[in-house]
Amino acid sequence: MSKVRRQLRFGAFFSVPGCHPTGWRHPDAICETDLDFRYLADMARTAERGKLDCMFFQDSVAIPGSTAVYGAKPFRVKNGRQAHIEPMSAIAALAAITSRIGLVSTCTTSYNEPYNVARRFLTIDHISGGRAGWNLVTSQAEDEAVNFGRDAHFEHGVRYDRAAEFHDVVIGLWDSWEDDAFLRDKKSGVWFDFDKMHILRHKGQHFTVRGPLNVARSPQGRPVVAQAGSSDIGMELAARTADMVFTAQTTIKEGQDFCNDMRSRVVNYGRGPEDIRIFPGIMPIVGRTETEAREKYEELRSLVDDGVGIAGVARLAGGVDIFACDPDGPLPELKPSNAARARQDMIIAMGKRGMTIREIGRVLAMSQAHRVLYGTPSQLADDMQAWLEAGACDGFNLLFPHYPKPLEEWVTMVVPELQRRGIFRTEYEGKTFRENLGVPIPPNIHTANRTSVQVKAAAAND
Amino acid sequence: MTKRQLKLGGFFSVPGNHLAGWRHPDAVPTADMDFREYAHITQVAEEARFDTIFFQDTVGVAGSRALARGERTRAKLSRTVKLEPTATLAALAMVTSRIGLVATATTTYNEPYNIARRFASIDHISGGRAGWNLVTSQIEDESENFGFDEHLAHAERYERAAEFYEVVTGLWDSWEDGGLLRDKQSGVYMDRDKVHFLDHVGKHFKVKGPLNITRSPQGWPVVAQAGSSEAGRELAARTADVVFTAQTKIDEAKVFYADIKDRAARYGRTPDDIKIMPGLTPVLGRTMAEARENYEYLQSLMPDDVALQSLAHISGGLDLTKFPLDGPLPELPPSNAAKARQALVVRTAREGNMTLRQIARHTAAGTGHRVLVGTPEYMADEMEAWLEEEAADGFNVVCNYYPKPFEDFCRLVVPELQRRGIFRTEYEGTTLRENLGLRVPENRYIRHARQGLAKEAS
Repeated sequence: MSKVRRQLRFGAFFSVPGCHPTGWRHPDAICETDLDFRYLADMARTAERGKLDCMFFQDSVAIPGSTAVYGAKPFRVKNGRQAHIEPMSAIAALAAITSRIGLVSTCTTSYNEPYNVARRFLTIDHISGGRAGWNLVTSQAEDEAVNFGRDAHFEHGVRYDRAAEFHDVVIGLWDSWEDDAFLRDKKSGVWFDFDKMHILRHKGQHFTVRGPLNVARSPQGRPVVAQAGSSDIGMELAARTADMVFTAQTTIKEGQDFCNDMRSRVVNYGRGPEDIRIFPGIMPIVGRTETEAREKYEELRSLVDDGVGIAGVARLAGGVDIFACDPDGPLPELKPSNAARARQDMIIAMGKRGMTIREIGRVLAMSQAHRVLYGTPSQLADDMQAWLEAGACDGFNLLFPHYPKPLEEWVTMVVPELQRRGIFRTEYEGKTFRENLGVPIPPNIHTANRTSVQVKAAAAND
Repeated sequence: MTKRQLKLGGFFSVPGNHLAGWRHPDAVPTADMDFREYAHITQVAEEARFDTIFFQDTVGVAGSRALARGERTRAKLSRTVKLEPTATLAALAMVTSRIGLVATATTTYNEPYNIARRFASIDHISGGRAGWNLVTSQIEDESENFGFDEHLAHAERYERAAEFYEVVTGLWDSWEDGGLLRDKQSGVYMDRDKVHFLDHVGKHFKVKGPLNITRSPQGWPVVAQAGSSEAGRELAARTADVVFTAQTKIDEAKVFYADIKDRAARYGRTPDDIKIMPGLTPVLGRTMAEARENYEYLQSLMPDDVALQSLAHISGGLDLTKFPLDGPLPELPPSNAAKARQALVVRTAREGNMTLRQIARHTAAGTGHRVLVGTPEYMADEMEAWLEEEAADGFNVVCNYYPKPFEDFCRLVVPELQRRGIFRTEYEGTTLRENLGLRVPENRYIRHARQGLAKEAS
């Protein structure tokens, strides 16, 4: 009976001032968590005390819904997510005041250059001693496109095509230098070993990048790569490239199907099934008693704004004018969305279950369609343990409705219960994010097939 | 009456600005990648009450074209890898509380929206201590990492940079103060009337806005610039709060200083609105003789091939290895990359009657910045003279290796400057603008409204 039980893992998904778009109205909510860095610093310490695997920062390169604000539609001003500290800068700063927790920032492949992104994440990885993670996304909102000289965002297929190539360039740059390339030998005067430098010379459809990167290789081999795409094309990219997947799954059955599907895709790319960690999102609401938890849940539900919800449905409608529909009527047939494909499938499924537009909107406007889980620490633990043991997840990304109190409650109330059950760590296993996540250190792509590279180099010299 | 005060910046060229400085027994050569070393020298600078620390940047390994061609001599050059400066500033903000944090970010291979939010974010994180050194990228080592075979021509680069600046500062004004209501009672988070869309449509950029971060604690982060060409000076005079420059002679520095301040005046700015900070590389000794010995020792660490490499980017494509090292510097073809830098090197060589080896070593030692070899008193004399004669408002101190020469400067030279009453013993304020004595820029939308009202009144 000495077998170590399967362990849960947790990310704290940060969407300040709350993952519940109007949760900031809660009396306990501190709205200034969006821009006052001292709160983020405090929460990072709290999360590390709670042995969370990582802080996971959402991002968009625009005020979400700003095109709607431009049209002066009044609903948008109620959403708390207007302004926030750019997450890569935030995790760089958090690296300096934490020592074990993983630090994941979203960064889009649509409006950046791979060289810049590669060096920033690798730099944060060095600053943090191997704790950086990149949540690779494609930008899917018009709000973002218009800040980068475009009238509309890239079409779904093009976006993913660019994202895949972007990823490959970043990986190739991260591996520019072998681990022991820098000799810094004062006596001989040799700074680096020329043969341990690798020049990428990438020429592709979207990018031409010579390299090498001007940052040494990562303390954890490479920063962790996370992804959130749950569409077919998104899952395929994740299966090939991601160490960590963030997804919205609402039942154990769905979670199992997603995990099985993802792991079989991962294996198709010659990777081990456990080389990828799957984190469905949940919004946890914890109470000392079930009654208290239910009351908290009801209070947060009462804060949901129908306008925000219906706007959320509209955003996924693929151009169908949801505002023209009866909010208490059924969801109309939607056109294929060029935005969040998997998320659109989810609301179509809700519509088929008989939910009205308003009801679907309320789900989006409470938890961004992630599962809301309320109860005592023991009830929450029962639920999560059931998912873990059923193979429906590796852990969860926690969407707190507001900050910082729900995070503190998680750490003081739920974590000890999970630890008591032996399904969550009492100490970090390692120093790097990869060690704690239990995912392998990838071999340097340039040395994995060293012979062929040397042959190529020799040929190039002829 | 209080004496004019020096401004001091720590220009951290890690692991050392002298290309062989890392070989010095006191050098910590991991100062390029080890964040703890960055934190240490920044804290040393803060204890000495420096205005800022500053990181230059290139978006590529310097000399990577040569590396790609297989030039192995470059494997002896130390400044190969380092931490990306803007991420580093964010981290340094957490281990300091008063010092300004300035980093270079190029306008050539970035998008203004990303740059605007990043520096505004660092300004929020640091409580108003961020600065952006606006540059244009000028070397092929960089362009080839961004899909271009050659970098943009000089004029177009500056045109793009000027528009980039307009977009960034416009985005920084997106939010008026008080734009976030956060009114739990009414449920209204944002005051729509205090959020502004830039709607910029220009030759290089089309950016709608608004920025997704509120106005920074300094209004705008401080803007620094380092261009010394005609286009660079003009842009700096109009837009920069701080000008970094390479000046080796006081007479030339005075001309440069007066020129920038005159140009700034033509844009309606006062001389105090723009601070001119030449680079300065200290080589200290207890006596002048000891300082010169220290310098000679440092030079002896530099192999000839490495010295020659330091001229490669200003050689206008001429292969200098074909010329005798003990002969003069040959005539150089014009350089599209670093016009001002090339002119400076040629003049230094001619005026000093230097051999190719000597100018190569000289250039490698300080990459064009002024090297001051002497005692702390001598250094203070020189700095005071430049300050009094309006050749500089302050200096950017760039060291041959780290951390010792920088620690020594702070330990030996700074107290001497303080004793003379030309350098602060305490920070004046909490933001970089306060410490530099710069005004907080008025939000353009408030100014427009005010000017509109004034017109109505008249």
